[in-house]
Amino acid sequence: MTDDKQTIPTTYRLRYKKGDQILKQNDFGISIYKILSGKVLIFRECEDVEVPIAILGKGSIIGEMIFFLKATEVRSASAKALEDSELEATHPTELLKEYEMSAPILKLMARQALNRLTRVNRFLDRLIVNEQEKPENSRSGLSIWKTNRRFYRKKVNLTCKYTSKTRLTGFNATLEGTIKDISMTGLGLEIDPRNESAIPHEIGEVFQVETILPNAKELKLVCTLVRSSKGRGYISLGMMYLELSDDAKRILGFFLLPA
Amino acid sequence: MPIDPVVYEYIASEVECPANEVIIEEGSKGDWVYVVLEGHVKVKKRTPKGLIVIDTLSEGDIFGEIAFLEGEDADRSATVMAAEGSVRLGILDKELLIKHYSAMSPTLRAIIKSLAIKVRETTKRICTALVAAK
Repeated sequence: MTDDKQTIPTTYRLRYKKGDQILKQNDFGISIYKILSGKVLIFRECEDVEVPIAILGKGSIIGEMIFFLKATEVRSASAKALEDSELEATHPTELLKEYEMSAPILKLMARQALNRLTRVNRFLDRLIVNEQEKPENSRSGLSIWKTNRRFYRKKVNLTCKYTSKTRLTGFNATLEGTIKDISMTGLGLEIDPRNESAIPHEIGEVFQVETILPNAKELKLVCTLVRSSKGRGYISLGMMYLELSDDAKRILGFFLLPA
Repeated sequence: MPIDPVVYEYIASEVECPANEVIIEEGSKGDWVYVVLEGHVKVKKRTPKGLIVIDTLSEGDIFGEIAFLEGEDADRSATVMAAEGSVRLGILDKELLIKHYSAMSPTLRAIIKSLAIKVRETTKRICTALVAAK
C-alpha cells in the first residue's frame, strides 16, 4: 500500500530468540518497535516481580511511550520475546516531526491517554509492592532482618484525620478514624460507619490521611482504598500509599524499626 | 484542569447528566469522545468483586478517547458515570476527529493506537491486582 503521507524513517530489522529481552524498564532508548512476526510480552518490573501487562503479536507497536515523552524519560516497561520474533526498529525523528504538525486535538487526546497510562502504571506498582508484603508478613519476626525491613507492619492505635482526594470539590469534609496497623506500603484504618455518608468510600478512591505518631512526628499520606469490610459498629478500611514523600519515608521507616 | 481552548472548536453538542447516570458502559460499542465541562465523572471497571473506581475526572478531562484511538470497533474499556451532582459534558465532533486521525500516516496512527491499548491492558491488570489486594 502506498501512502504519500507516510514518511520513510530510518528502520532496521531485528531478530529475537524466544526468551530474549527486547526492552528493559528504566533503560534509555528512543526507538519504536513494530512486531513483524512472533509474540512479545510486555511486563512491568516491580520489586523484582514481573507483572505481565499484555501479549502482543504481528502489527503491534512497542516502546511508543518514549515517543510521546520525547525521550526525556526512561522506558516504562520491559518486553521479551515469547517465541522467535522479528521486529522492525524505527528511529522516531521523522515521526516526531509529523506528530508535532498533527491536529492539536489529537495531540491533546494522546497526552491525556499518556497521563492516564503513567498514573495506572504507578498505581499498579504500588499494588504489587503491597501484595509483596503479604507472604513476608506471615513469616516469623526473624525474617524481618533477613529480608527487607520495609515489609514490617506495626500494630498501633492512632487517631487520624482524613479527607477525600479524588478531586471531588463537593466533598471537603475532614473525617476521623483510628489507624490500627501501619507499614511502609499501607495502613489499616477503622472508621465510624457514619463517615460513609459524608464522603464516598469506594474501592479505588484516593484519600489523604494525617496523623501524629507516638514520637510526636507528623505524618501525611496519600492512599487509595483497596479493602473495606464492616465490623460491629465500625468499618475496617485497607489503604495503600500512592505516593510516599522522602520525609514520610524517613519518619515512617524510623518508627517501624523493630524495638 | 482548565479546559484546553482547542477542545471548544470540536464540541458538537452538550449534554447534562444527573448524578450516577451511566455515560459509557464497559464492553459496549461506541467511539464518541467526551469532555467534562462542569462537574465530575467516575471511571469504573467491572471486577469479580464489583465495580471499582479507577479514576475521577473533572473539568477539562477528555474521556472515551481510548476506544476512539484504538478504532476497529473497539469495546469501551471502562464504565463512566456522572458523579454526585449533575455533570455537563461536551460531545466532540466525531467526523472531524476521524478526518484528522485518518490524515495521519499509518505508522503514527499505529503508535497512538498502541498507547490506547496499553492504557486498556494496564487498567485491566490494576483490577486484577486490586481484587487480589482486597
